[in-house]
Amino acid sequence: MNAIEVNHVSKSYGTLKALDDVSFTVGKGEVFGLIGPDGAGKTSMYRILCTLLKPGQGRALVDGFDTVNQMAQIRSRVGYMPGKFSLYQDLTVQENLEFFATLFATTVEQGYDSIKAIYSQIERFKDRKAGALSGGMKQKLALCCALVHQPSVLFLDEPTTGVDPVSRKEFWDMLQALKEREITIMASTPYLDEVRRCERVAFLDQGKIRGIGTPDEILTRFADIFNPPAIEHAATSETHDENVIEVEHLVKAFGKFHAVDDISFTVKRGEIFGFLGANGAGKTTAMHMLTGLNQPTSGTGRVAGYDIRTEHEQIKKHIGYMSQRFSLYEDLTVAENIRLFGGIYDMSDADISRKTDELLDRLQFTDHKNDLVGSLPLGWKQKLAFSVSIFHDPSIVFLDEPTGGVDPATRRQFWELIYDAAARGITVFVTTHYMDEAEYCDRISIMVDGKISAMGTPAELKEKFRQPDMDHVFTYLARQATRSSD
Amino acid sequence: MKQFISFITKEAKHIVRDKRTMLILFGMPIVLMLLFGFAITTDVRNVRTVVVTSSQDHLTRQAVDRLAASEYFVITSTVATPREAELLIRRQKADMAVVFSPDFASRREGIQFIVDGADPNMAQQWTNYATGVIANADAALVNSKMLYNPQMRSAYNFVPAIMGMLLMLVCAMMTSISIVREKEKGTMEVLLVSPVKPLMIIVAKAVPYLVLAFAILTTILLMGRYVLGVPLQGSIVWIYLVSTIYILLALSLGLLISNIATSQLMALLLSAMVLLMPIVMLSGMLFPIESMPPVLQWISAIVPPRYYIQAMRKLMIMGVGIGEVVREVAILSGMTILLLAVSLLKFKTRLE
Repeated sequence: MNAIEVNHVSKSYGTLKALDDVSFTVGKGEVFGLIGPDGAGKTSMYRILCTLLKPGQGRALVDGFDTVNQMAQIRSRVGYMPGKFSLYQDLTVQENLEFFATLFATTVEQGYDSIKAIYSQIERFKDRKAGALSGGMKQKLALCCALVHQPSVLFLDEPTTGVDPVSRKEFWDMLQALKEREITIMASTPYLDEVRRCERVAFLDQGKIRGIGTPDEILTRFADIFNPPAIEHAATSETHDENVIEVEHLVKAFGKFHAVDDISFTVKRGEIFGFLGANGAGKTTAMHMLTGLNQPTSGTGRVAGYDIRTEHEQIKKHIGYMSQRFSLYEDLTVAENIRLFGGIYDMSDADISRKTDELLDRLQFTDHKNDLVGSLPLGWKQKLAFSVSIFHDPSIVFLDEPTGGVDPATRRQFWELIYDAAARGITVFVTTHYMDEAEYCDRISIMVDGKISAMGTPAELKEKFRQPDMDHVFTYLARQATRSSD
Repeated sequence: MKQFISFITKEAKHIVRDKRTMLILFGMPIVLMLLFGFAITTDVRNVRTVVVTSSQDHLTRQAVDRLAASEYFVITSTVATPREAELLIRRQKADMAVVFSPDFASRREGIQFIVDGADPNMAQQWTNYATGVIANADAALVNSKMLYNPQMRSAYNFVPAIMGMLLMLVCAMMTSISIVREKEKGTMEVLLVSPVKPLMIIVAKAVPYLVLAFAILTTILLMGRYVLGVPLQGSIVWIYLVSTIYILLALSLGLLISNIATSQLMALLLSAMVLLMPIVMLSGMLFPIESMPPVLQWISAIVPPRYYIQAMRKLMIMGVGIGEVVREVAILSGMTILLLAVSLLKFKTRLE
């Protein structure tokens, strides 16, 4: 008997077809990947299988039970991790676990064996509030909560988005271990290394299944989407000697805790500087100090020629900033958003309208000028957000995990924009959890425990640590962290 | 049962750990009680009064003395012409003037009040009080007696009103927000994909707020009794029982709001704005229902606090038995059953 059977399932929201005649089966104990770009219909599929949504047409069976008529049976034998960490942030680790155990009419003691391997890693934080855990820890706790009642099928909807590479690897090791207990796992992920760890994957795009097969088959068949050819990046031949960021012995302490512990580095004009680190290594704090949002405890720094201690108002005028969370106003149109940000940076009306046309032209967005930003696909929003962040020609743009949650092809297009900006002399300071993107940078620093533990070009770092690619370099360094990862 | 208890514990922890909300929940009743009890008062007291008279006969003297002796009026000055009195009122030196005609003593009539009518309600009250005080001057033309509230203290009126308003706000707002928060955070999805019955989730959500509502009710009653000196004439048991019905009604309303609202902000706006305005304006809390235009009177008929406040005034202040509030209790119970049924039917076991 198959653990999951999906027969010709369709689902529409109004006129939008989220799922269009989807059929696939997952064998018992299989690790099955459901991959595809943002908005492909993955979440709708999970919700149908978890009995949260009724399929429009078609039928789905989980463990032999119908998702429409036998809701109760299914609900007692599946574990589900929705995209967001479905934990109670104000309850402690232990309270969360106990609550979810009683929810499924079991106890932590009864289910302890099944979660021991995972829970032992977070048990020392059991009295800490879930909200105070790092991304990696939350994800492990959420997995424990989903596993404590020993489900036979586990649904994981992008469980590792926003989690650093080391934690992601550990997470998939855990999933592999679950396989031995015959638990069927259906997971989705934007990361290719995780796709490769599935036994079979289905590629879902615009509500349709484009292909099902082993990861290698799918990744080769859709190579133009998953494995786009590397971007040509003309090595910046004309080296600018001018430093736009200079930081010396920068420290930020919260009480006794040194979030950023004595870092020094320089970034040259037009350079693409990758700022890497595991969750909680201190990246965001460092970035906040550089952008003038936060005062350093000690140390000095100059950004775009201005002192980060005293001239943060000037700094704000000369930098661009784009974060994963805040990008654009969803209820304003494309043109209105551009106009707003132009206005914030005090540009003249003539400049704004001229540059708006240029920008829309370059992005081929002219037809969508008056569309609400909320109606655009995520990849487009990110491109637009980036273009808006450099709209006022800043000398530096700070990008905080700009490409979270999109597929490799879209990320590649995004990086073309970054190269374009760098060629125009804008320095790019970027953080990312995608190690293929790290390879695109001119120079990289890797933060571990608040200190910069390695810095150099990707080639130099690979050679220095004798690792085949950036992913291994990062894992090698991040594993040396002694500070608990949160 | 174990699931149920662990659910309630979880919910209670959410409430207790959110210190700021707790502070507001308990601070609000106390502040409101103190405000309404001491600061915002419609009691007539220390009205600055000018006496206009040209003769100093015995009867006029007596009437003025009566005014001055009452705690309601303070005679600030005596002038000769109404013109001067008007000027004083205009310059904000006085609130009202009592004009005695020169032949007041012989005719035994001829009194005029000149009142600052900027606040018509208060002006009306001052006139009534002054009439009462002066009418009694020559021993009982009219003798009025105030039942239940002999000193005409406004706290008697406000305490039941505050109970009606706060219990509704706390219960409806807090339950709807706490349910919508789970929807927003994605935890509701996980709860639904568990074998737990949705009805249990809802009931468990409501229990801690029920307890909280009782705590607030008790706070208000204690403050009313011991700080504002409002008597509790009726039976405590009935007061609590009628309040329980009302709290259940408010909880069902909160549940209904949580079905409609998709974000915490929307839940807050719905419960604060949509509930608060009719409660304050139409429940008879501030303005007497009898003096509203008919359309508003019809609307106020479906505002639940109206019946609760009426019932509480009768039970607490008048001290009547439960027999006298059967109508209010019946209407409240009917509304509760209706709202509860609608919101439970509307509660979704799936996401759409």
